[in-house]
Amino acid sequence: MDRKIIIAIVIAAIVIVGIVAAAVLLNRDGKGGSVRYLAFAPKDMKAALATNQVDAYIAWEPYVSDSVVGHVGEVLIWTEDIMPNHPCCVVVVRNAFLSQPNGVELAQRFVKAHIEATDWMNAALADKTGANYTKLVDMAVGFTSRNATVVEAAFEHLQFRYEMGSSFDSALEKFTNMYIDLNMTTSSKLTDRGYASVDNFVEMYANETYLEAADSIAPSAIINSESPVHLGYLNGDLHQLAQVVAKNTEVTGTGKSLFETYGVKVADAVGVPFANGGAEMDGFAASTVDIGYLGAPPSIIKHLNAGTGTTIIAQANVEGSGLVVGVDSGIHDLHDLMNKTVAVPGPPAEQSIQFLLLKIELERNGLDFVVKT
Amino acid sequence: MNSIAASLLRLIQENWRKLLLGVASMVVFLFLWSLYAAWLKADWPFHGASGAAEYVPYPWEVLNAFYLSFWSHPVSGLYMGSHVYASLKRMVAGFVLAFVIAVPAGLLMGRMWKAEAVAKPVVELFRPIPPLAWIPIFLVVFGVVIGPIGIVFLGIFFPVLLNVQFGARSVDSSLIDAARTLGARRLDIFAKVVLPFTVPYLMTGITVGLGIGWMCIVAAEMLGAVGGGVGYFIFTTAGNSQYPEMFAGMLMIGILSILTTGIAGLIERRLSKWMGMR
Repeated sequence: MDRKIIIAIVIAAIVIVGIVAAAVLLNRDGKGGSVRYLAFAPKDMKAALATNQVDAYIAWEPYVSDSVVGHVGEVLIWTEDIMPNHPCCVVVVRNAFLSQPNGVELAQRFVKAHIEATDWMNAALADKTGANYTKLVDMAVGFTSRNATVVEAAFEHLQFRYEMGSSFDSALEKFTNMYIDLNMTTSSKLTDRGYASVDNFVEMYANETYLEAADSIAPSAIINSESPVHLGYLNGDLHQLAQVVAKNTEVTGTGKSLFETYGVKVADAVGVPFANGGAEMDGFAASTVDIGYLGAPPSIIKHLNAGTGTTIIAQANVEGSGLVVGVDSGIHDLHDLMNKTVAVPGPPAEQSIQFLLLKIELERNGLDFVVKT
Repeated sequence: MNSIAASLLRLIQENWRKLLLGVASMVVFLFLWSLYAAWLKADWPFHGASGAAEYVPYPWEVLNAFYLSFWSHPVSGLYMGSHVYASLKRMVAGFVLAFVIAVPAGLLMGRMWKAEAVAKPVVELFRPIPPLAWIPIFLVVFGVVIGPIGIVFLGIFFPVLLNVQFGARSVDSSLIDAARTLGARRLDIFAKVVLPFTVPYLMTGITVGLGIGWMCIVAAEMLGAVGGGVGYFIFTTAGNSQYPEMFAGMLMIGILSILTTGIAGLIERRLSKWMGMR
């Protein structure tokens, strides 16, 4: 009896060993000319760099300035130098929410408040001696749990912007094509969702009509007092500061928030702050989030792969990410990263804009970007 | 080759009722799964699709994704074989570490009240903490290679420790008295009475620990997983909403768990027979 079990197990073991050997032979080798990556949570990246677990990391603010201000790291390259005005966080609406009574109007009013909040932030950032700048920094400190020095440093490489436009569209097209190349989604998924091509997908998925309609929105009494818009956002993501400003009752000087000023009652969705965009998209799928701030990539991937019914209705920011290397690490350009390890946000490691942008830049420099083995 | 075939045939003949029941339960499970997926997707014979339609693929979609993951659909540039290899390395290292520490510690705690008094508060304090909570700390403190092994170690360590402790404590006192009467010294009693008596308990601990270890591998490979891993594969495909692939990763964990616990069970049976306990 036992002998037969041994034989069965030996056969199974031989099969596994064969499969492993075949896989090793099939895998891309990454020999020379390659930079290695590992998935890390952005909050752990500074500690990982400080303890030499990784040689560099790429993340969004405030995780970049956190290391710089703390003298743990220095920025090798900002993502704005890789792709100027690249998109990052966006405002997304659940399509089924738009079908509800007042759904479209609420989304338009939400976008109006988002525009006003963004304009207020940009005006505050333009005058660093003004009271509004101090107010903005205080709000950012409270939201990110970082000190004022870190937040102020982070503002230097971050642009709050709501417009979308052609450069936004072409960036999303590039990212979507990269996802297809990386085997993270497929052309057939595009077809399944009713899109003829990547261009057609981006054209349909990024809907500018809400921004256009916001021009004609005037302040009003709250129109959804019985059923608030359930708002999603990520944990301490400085790129999504507009929603903090739009909820703050001290910004308008009337005792009402910008959301309330434009007639929208907003409540935090169940599960906020979300740990990552994927979790927030699952909130959209579960109908617990109506409108949310998150990175464009998880929105694209979850929409295409899981069929989550969402639409991008505004940008939240552009740029604002950087590649950080250790202080005195001897890494002065991208070629110095050869055979070294870079932490990227994830998993999924390949989904973030930070990963995609670094991959683009490394390939421009003749370097591969492969998972660390 | 003929003898293997004959052995397999005899095995089937001897156990055909068990096999039939096992196959029947699997068929029913797959049928119910397919039915649920069809209901979510509003495929025949149902109408009206659910929002969760994409989250539950059909079994054959999972099997297809499982097959393709080995040859043509890499995740993070790595095929399933590489992920399996990375996970097995972590499991073996975590198991060896847990075994080496938990067995002597369990024997001491089971036979020496002072050792138990010293270790028990620490064990009871740390035992209920889910391995997931340790991930960021382990990664930074122990690094990206040892850190994930440490998470697996935690999953295997406590079941082995507690079973060995229980086994060592349960030794029949009449056996010890008999050994003493025959002139055995303390070390002899430990080596020739306590240790053999504890082996079945140890094997139970290993079997349970391996199962928990495979559960922990998903947590262990959530971050900083060098060379990927099946847990990393699951996290990545789940994050990308590649649900057939995600379920394929789960299937792989199940297969690996069956194989490793099967080996442990086999060793347990052989040891028991060798020791005259069966």
